[in-house]
Amino acid sequence: MIRAYGPAIVLIAAAALVPFAITANTVLNFIVFALIIALAAQGWNVLGGLAGQFSFGHAAFFGSGAYTTALLQTHWGVNAWVAFALSILLAGAVGWIIGFLSFRSGLRGSYFALVTLAFAEVLRILANASTFTGGAAGTLVKLDMGPANFQFASRAAFVWIALALVGFVLIATIAIMRSRFGAWLTAVRENEDAARALGVDTLAVKLKAITLSAAITGAAGALYVQYYLYLDASIAYGPWISIEALVAPIVGGIGTAFGPILGAAALHGFGELTKLFAGGIPGIDLVLYGLLLIATIAFAPDGIMGLLKRLASVFDRRRTR
Amino acid sequence: MTQKTEISRRGLLATAATGAAAIAMPSLVRAQAPAIKVGILQPVTGALAYDGQQGQIGAEAAIKAINDAGGIKALGGAKLEMVFGDARSTPEGGTAEVERMQAEGVVAVVGGFASPICLAASQAAARYDLPYIVDVGVADSIVTRGLKNTFRFGPGFGMVTKTALENLAKLNEAAGKPAKTVVLVHEDGLFGSGLAKLMQAELPKMGFEVLDTIAHPTPARDMSNIALQIRSKNPDLVIPSSYYGEFALLARTMQQQRIRPKGIYAVLNGAASNYRFVKEFNEAAQFVMDCNHWHDPRKPVAEALRKQVEASGKFWTYNIPLNYSCVGLLADAIEKAGSTDKAKVTEALANSTYAGHIMPYGPTKFVNGQNQGGAPVNTQIQGADIKVIFPTDFADAKPVFPRPA
Repeated sequence: MIRAYGPAIVLIAAAALVPFAITANTVLNFIVFALIIALAAQGWNVLGGLAGQFSFGHAAFFGSGAYTTALLQTHWGVNAWVAFALSILLAGAVGWIIGFLSFRSGLRGSYFALVTLAFAEVLRILANASTFTGGAAGTLVKLDMGPANFQFASRAAFVWIALALVGFVLIATIAIMRSRFGAWLTAVRENEDAARALGVDTLAVKLKAITLSAAITGAAGALYVQYYLYLDASIAYGPWISIEALVAPIVGGIGTAFGPILGAAALHGFGELTKLFAGGIPGIDLVLYGLLLIATIAFAPDGIMGLLKRLASVFDRRRTR
Repeated sequence: MTQKTEISRRGLLATAATGAAAIAMPSLVRAQAPAIKVGILQPVTGALAYDGQQGQIGAEAAIKAINDAGGIKALGGAKLEMVFGDARSTPEGGTAEVERMQAEGVVAVVGGFASPICLAASQAAARYDLPYIVDVGVADSIVTRGLKNTFRFGPGFGMVTKTALENLAKLNEAAGKPAKTVVLVHEDGLFGSGLAKLMQAELPKMGFEVLDTIAHPTPARDMSNIALQIRSKNPDLVIPSSYYGEFALLARTMQQQRIRPKGIYAVLNGAASNYRFVKEFNEAAQFVMDCNHWHDPRKPVAEALRKQVEASGKFWTYNIPLNYSCVGLLADAIEKAGSTDKAKVTEALANSTYAGHIMPYGPTKFVNGQNQGGAPVNTQIQGADIKVIFPTDFADAKPVFPRPA
């Protein structure tokens, strides 16, 4: 038990102390953004990493979560916390629908990836055209500070909330990986036909995975809205978030519980550090982002987690020698 | 051995002390007029990089001009110091930079360019009551949110479209109403679709018939289909609202396919009042009209700045005079406030009557953060130049409409 969950709890607890040590709002702002990306990436990881169904369109879930919370608040004055909870449910429902439509038709691999991409694009165009979503002008959530409105004057509060969500998903991911459901997911990922032959209801397993995945990524979207208080179609359903959500786990380690968090931290942390030291050159952080991505794919195909594991085994061998 | 370390340690201390003294001395001298940090926010990477770079040119030129003229006199000639932030063409990029600027102690933030960036960044600034001056962002929601810190110097969307429609009617009437039918071409983002919707509602009231409304995404790489659609409808007027690349492409395609409506009347177009377009696609650009931000050609400072920018090999766009003026507006407010206190500067901005800018607006007057004088002008590309054709009191050319066959 401790062996399984210990590192996760230590990591989250350590991260929770950061706002006490660092009070600079620039750093906290960056941490919140990186955590939002990490959460979206954790969502992708459940479907892409654990169940092996690569999606290129997680923006569909991010955006649905984001629009739900924004529109519930602006159109019907629903309390922000209630809207947040509903947005997670609705994003999950969108995940289930997209999953139902594509998995039931037997779409796999690159076909599934393309279909998710298409869904995200369709949603983007609809959100851009509809007056209900504010069209291209987007939706503004009214700035109204107060814990009851899920808006905080202090950035630290947001760090803790985002961290709590990331921590919860981290522990849930470990729990899933240790459960029977986790074994089914692995079976589907490794060989779907074999899994079905052994009596695994692969459709049900995949549907559960995409629903969970969508709900988590939807939470990231809702958090984004609550933090930046502004949303338009290209933020919500644009390809940027689909890419962020899949690049972070790839860099961190696909199918591992810590991968998405490490990936998001490495990619964005690295960029932020370079901006600090070489801030004079616009775009230098993006150049390094790209270099890091290339380096990971070239030298650490299993991501940072794979690299750490390899390093650890090298040390182990030395010690036993 | 021990002796040696002892000495070097002492030596180190001595060096450190001299160094500290050397650093401290000039700061004592300088302490009389510490530099005033001004945040300049522009998207200089990503999709809007070109506009951001143009805006930066204007802001830098203004800071240089103010410093060369003796800085802020009310504060003992304090110089302005730019704290530049790259908004990366995204709202969260803008927010992150506002946070950094606030941490570095800026007195205000100027810029943003695109509406989404302005909306998010001014909101981030509002958390610290940090004054924010919007340079371009035209979305009306920027100044209708009730944020006390946000000021927009230029005109908003509603104002631009109203002026554009009024002037179109005047133009058509003066020419004997040659234009009766219109095709709208617009990008599917914030300003394009908003504008198209307004036009669809307003143009019929003014006696124009809208034959078709064609939307395209940004970026779009091929405009042949849109050009063909225009050809089949054969309208008198084409009203495009697109960014630079798409409109340049459309104009060139129309020229290649010999589609020649009586006029092209653009609104807030990215290309039709850009010298790059005039130079690179001169033939296609002839007689294209635009309703957009533009500097006041009567003001010598504006023309001098334009010559200076062109001499450095850059193209003149409206971003430059707008940002130049916004920085001037801020400097004027700091001068009036006699302080870098954020609340005092905000108050000075709210009561500002700044006339030293280079836009055709008259003295500033802010109501709920919107400069009441902010208005667009109509320009037309004639030969190798962009001429002002409306308003008539400072136009430097007569409109050529309908365009000669």
